[in-house]
Amino acid sequence: MKKLLLVFLICTLPLTVSATESRRGFIETYEAPPATGEEFAPPVLEEMETEGTDEETAPFMDDDDLSFLDEEDDVVEVYDPFETFNRGMFWFNDKAYFYVMKPVAKGWRWLAPEPLQLGIRNFFSNLRAPIRFVNAALQGKFRDSGHELTRFGVNTTLGIGGLFDPAKVHFGIDKKIEDTGQTLAHYGVGAGPYLVLPFLGPSNFRDGAGLLGDFYFSLVPVVFENTAYWVAISGDIINFLAIDKDTYEGIKKDALDPYLFLRDAYSQYRLNLILH
Amino acid sequence: MLKRLLLTLMAGIALAFTVMSHAGSTPTDDVRTSVDAMLEILKNEQLDKEDKRAQMSTVINERFDFRAMSQRTLATNWKKTSNEEKQQFIALFSQLIESSYVGKIEAYTNEKVEYPGEKVKGRKAVVETLIITSSADVPVNYKVYQKGDQWLVYDVVIEGVSLISNYRSSYQEIMKKEGFDGLLAKMQAKIDELASTPS
Repeated sequence: MKKLLLVFLICTLPLTVSATESRRGFIETYEAPPATGEEFAPPVLEEMETEGTDEETAPFMDDDDLSFLDEEDDVVEVYDPFETFNRGMFWFNDKAYFYVMKPVAKGWRWLAPEPLQLGIRNFFSNLRAPIRFVNAALQGKFRDSGHELTRFGVNTTLGIGGLFDPAKVHFGIDKKIEDTGQTLAHYGVGAGPYLVLPFLGPSNFRDGAGLLGDFYFSLVPVVFENTAYWVAISGDIINFLAIDKDTYEGIKKDALDPYLFLRDAYSQYRLNLILH
Repeated sequence: MLKRLLLTLMAGIALAFTVMSHAGSTPTDDVRTSVDAMLEILKNEQLDKEDKRAQMSTVINERFDFRAMSQRTLATNWKKTSNEEKQQFIALFSQLIESSYVGKIEAYTNEKVEYPGEKVKGRKAVVETLIITSSADVPVNYKVYQKGDQWLVYDVVIEGVSLISNYRSSYQEIMKKEGFDGLLAKMQAKIDELASTPS
């Protein structure tokens, strides 16, 4: 099993590395705010474009020129060569969500009191603390890494095996999401093609490969072995959906195309995590 | 003479007050006023759902600049559309944004909202808010810009995801395949669907 995972990891790496160069460039431009000072002068090109079309749009553009709002924008272009496959997987996940996972989650939501749901979530989150500890350290974020170590120590002991989160509640140390996907990005690995994973949903080649790293650092497979592991992670997901305030239903309701919405939201969300 | 003096004095006082109110309105003040007003409406048990939506709509329309949002969503396509098309788009888009935003705010009716800080840069600012729920803290940042003596919202960023960037990438994709008219038709269909399904 481990061999198989390694082979997959190795096979996917070249694909993600190939996109490294453009990714690195993107992150650099994203991190450095354009040095325009207090004035928010739009780039010259932008100005010329606006001027060129002033005549047509003049009657409508009578109030403020809003081009000064534009400069900060960097739209994340998602590379999605496997869109047909991904949309198929998206359809599958949608059905799995509404016909299987959500009904079970709703039953659990009704059955279990909220403190129990939160306790279970904390428990699994605590078992995943080594993922955050290792990956923060690998990215040179030693402060965050130290925080995770403290959190793990405090929550495992005072928090009764991680069921409670006294590290946050009493000591004000917040959890910070760090994972192998972010570490790969930190070292310049590009996102690679967008990928919808069965049951887990939006991802990409880099973050998918990152999941394998996370698997090795996680304590969940150490505590739960073989069949118990699959029961445990299924339970964790169902419990998560019970706590979640029907986010996916909201997206389905609002978005013109939920697939595109999630694809972009995932990419923005990950980029934000990578940059912080 | 006395009358004139009095008038001058009154004008002076009026001016002083305007200047004061202008200086007093920070981005956070403006956002907080609107968010508080919305939470107040949602908590008011004397209002039925219809009334709540109507009052929420008024508050949102005062604070959200739908024209700026539309312009940023269409991006380069904005210049290619006619004035009439722009008006059409703004009308549809504002309904969709409103519905989406209200849906999100409604989920957090009884939660506490904190204002950890704001970053002002010239005429632009980001107002950070944190919605504290029993299960998680949700960061919601409002991007605002100054127009006259007010700060108007031109984007909402939830957990690092910009609503406008998201709309832009989705809408551009739809426009690529189905054109601007196709996009408008889809938006209208979505609005009809939202109106017909009781939430």
